[in-house]
Amino acid sequence: MAFLDINNVVKRYEGHTALAGVSMQVPQGCIYGLLGPNGAGKSTLIRIINRIIAADEGTVTLNGKAMTDDDIVHIGYLPEERGLYKKMKVGDHIVYLGRLKGMTKADAVASMHWWLDRFDLKEWENKKVEALSKGMQQKVQFIATVIHRPPLLIFDEPFSGFDPVNAEQLKVEILALRDQGSTILFSTHNMASVEEVCQQITLLNHSHVVLTGSVDEVKQQHKKNIIAVQSPDTIEPNAALFTLLPPDPVKHDTRIKLAQGVQVRDAISWLNEHYRLTGFTEVLPSMNEIFIETVKSKNNENNG
Amino acid sequence: MDKLRLIIAREYMSIVGRKSFIILTLLLPFLIVFIGAIPILMEYLNNSGNQTQQIAVIDETGKYASALQSDNLYNFVAIKGDTVTDAREFYDKANGSITAIIVIPRDVETSAQVNIYSEGTIPPALVMSVDNALTDTIQKARLAAAGIPNLQQIIDETHINLNVRNVTWQQDGNEQEASTDAAMALGMILAFIIYMFVIFYGQMIMNNVIEEKTNRIVEVVVSSCRPFHLMLGKIIGVGLAGLTQMAIWIVLLSVVGTVAGSALGLSGAAMTPDVAAAGVDPEMVDGAMSQVVRQALSINYTPIVINFVLYFIGGYLLYSAIFAALGSAVDQASDASQLLWPVMILVIIAIYAAMGCMTNPNGPMAFWCSIIPFTSPIVMMIRLPYDIPLWQMVLSHVLLFGTALAIVWVAARIYRRGILHYGKKVSFLDLFKWIK
Repeated sequence: MAFLDINNVVKRYEGHTALAGVSMQVPQGCIYGLLGPNGAGKSTLIRIINRIIAADEGTVTLNGKAMTDDDIVHIGYLPEERGLYKKMKVGDHIVYLGRLKGMTKADAVASMHWWLDRFDLKEWENKKVEALSKGMQQKVQFIATVIHRPPLLIFDEPFSGFDPVNAEQLKVEILALRDQGSTILFSTHNMASVEEVCQQITLLNHSHVVLTGSVDEVKQQHKKNIIAVQSPDTIEPNAALFTLLPPDPVKHDTRIKLAQGVQVRDAISWLNEHYRLTGFTEVLPSMNEIFIETVKSKNNENNG
Repeated sequence: MDKLRLIIAREYMSIVGRKSFIILTLLLPFLIVFIGAIPILMEYLNNSGNQTQQIAVIDETGKYASALQSDNLYNFVAIKGDTVTDAREFYDKANGSITAIIVIPRDVETSAQVNIYSEGTIPPALVMSVDNALTDTIQKARLAAAGIPNLQQIIDETHINLNVRNVTWQQDGNEQEASTDAAMALGMILAFIIYMFVIFYGQMIMNNVIEEKTNRIVEVVVSSCRPFHLMLGKIIGVGLAGLTQMAIWIVLLSVVGTVAGSALGLSGAAMTPDVAAAGVDPEMVDGAMSQVVRQALSINYTPIVINFVLYFIGGYLLYSAIFAALGSAVDQASDASQLLWPVMILVIIAIYAAMGCMTNPNGPMAFWCSIIPFTSPIVMMIRLPYDIPLWQMVLSHVLLFGTALAIVWVAARIYRRGILHYGKKVSFLDLFKWIK
């Protein structure tokens, strides 16, 4: 049973359909990537999970029970476009959002102190939000999202605007929350961060799910049977087994593409017999390539 | 409910804690009292620095010089001499120690002309005090010259100040003096309070909503509570902040006003002769004042206060919900004006209708405008001090609160969509679509 189960969700607006029957199963304790180009319907889906807007059809189940408005206290949500009340004091602001999520005042204050300490923001507790740098404001937003330790966290482009040092700190905190049992839904365009933190993904395009599964599975499905081969010799093509690809512009290794139906080990044993082979690696596509390829081919289908 | 209370508290504190709010709240009563006191202060400054000026009087008749009473501004000194040449000589000899010479000619009773000679311009105040002092005396002399006994008394008796008393019959058969002036003033003050409050705090709510939107905090907040609660919390929180401000103003105004009044009262006493000189009978002033006070005391305040509070809440709820909905539909305050004008027109119609109803508080316009919910909170204030049939009162209240709740519901639907809408400018058509 998935922790968060989205089943055939449909959302229509005047003139267009934002979600056309989207289903998605997010297992407990997983970091789950929700990917897709702009306008694919990610934000709509996230708002439906957060109960900011209502789905026209379909169900959202959290921990085996259909979600109600009371369940929003079990979610922490960091929207893509996020802000703070500029005139409020940092500490008051975090406590306010924590209490809105149902914490008692004492719990919220204690938790606020713990997190400010952890992010080195202790001396800013009584300063107004507007006095903080952008990076510090983003940390405050993060704290306000996780302060009530929700079992489900939703981050929409969490790293946008962070410098590399702070982004790394944020990543460490997100992984720590996962290890403590939180389930994390992670929406982003940044495919590098997907490879680093996500175990499973769903790719939305034009209101539909076009790709879903674990990161490894998806990569296996999209591999092109390309092998990078290291050898001091110059390798000649062998039409029966493989063709040569242009060398990788960065690594200068030799790249071969296996012919239809040829197994990796057949090609490697043949190469090993004829050349001095020092190493080989199967080249898997990056999530970035898969994203672009999938979105482009689906768009072509739609256009054709 | 807890969340609503949290939101109300935050909204309230965010306004009451603002420096500009504190400064305005504390300073405005002083400012009002100061502006009110300016004419008195100016009069005081005008007179206090002056040296008493010497005015010589040549009275050819020998009868009227005594009518000119010296005061701390002008000291009238009668001198001998009976021609303009004498006056000139005297003036030159005095070498600047006298300001002017008044010559009352022998034929003043027929010519009604008095000359003031001076090298410089003569202060209008001197002309006025000479005019006031002599006119009355010469008039009396002329009357006496007519030779009709008791003529003065006859004229005094024909001169009346008509006093129209409005007496209403109570149901228990008693007579009660009705209170037109005081009632009218009270009604207008109440109408203006509601008008100002609706406009000022309504706009504050609108700007608040827009700020949350441009801040992008709103999506975080509505992922923790219902948009309806956020809107309602904002309306209540801002309303309470406004009430706090009003309460402080009332307390401060009465304290500052009393203190300033008694402080200025000392110098005010010095001015009383001027009032008398201006031809106003002090007893008449007292009479008019005491009549207003008597009227003000005769008004039955309990139903007025209760109804004022109810209309205040209803009107504020109605308009602030509209302001909140409009604020949610725009990205920045400057875009709001194109959606705002119908609301502003409604409020302005209401205050004009209120002023129009003052002369006929039971007429058809007053009736309709005090029944229609968009104008009733303001127009009914004018009618409150007068007796209003119970059914009209009930109908007006029911319509106002019914409409206010309906508007809050509609506004909440617009608000829910509006706060997440960015980019394309919204038209009234879009707003209607959002209500569905």
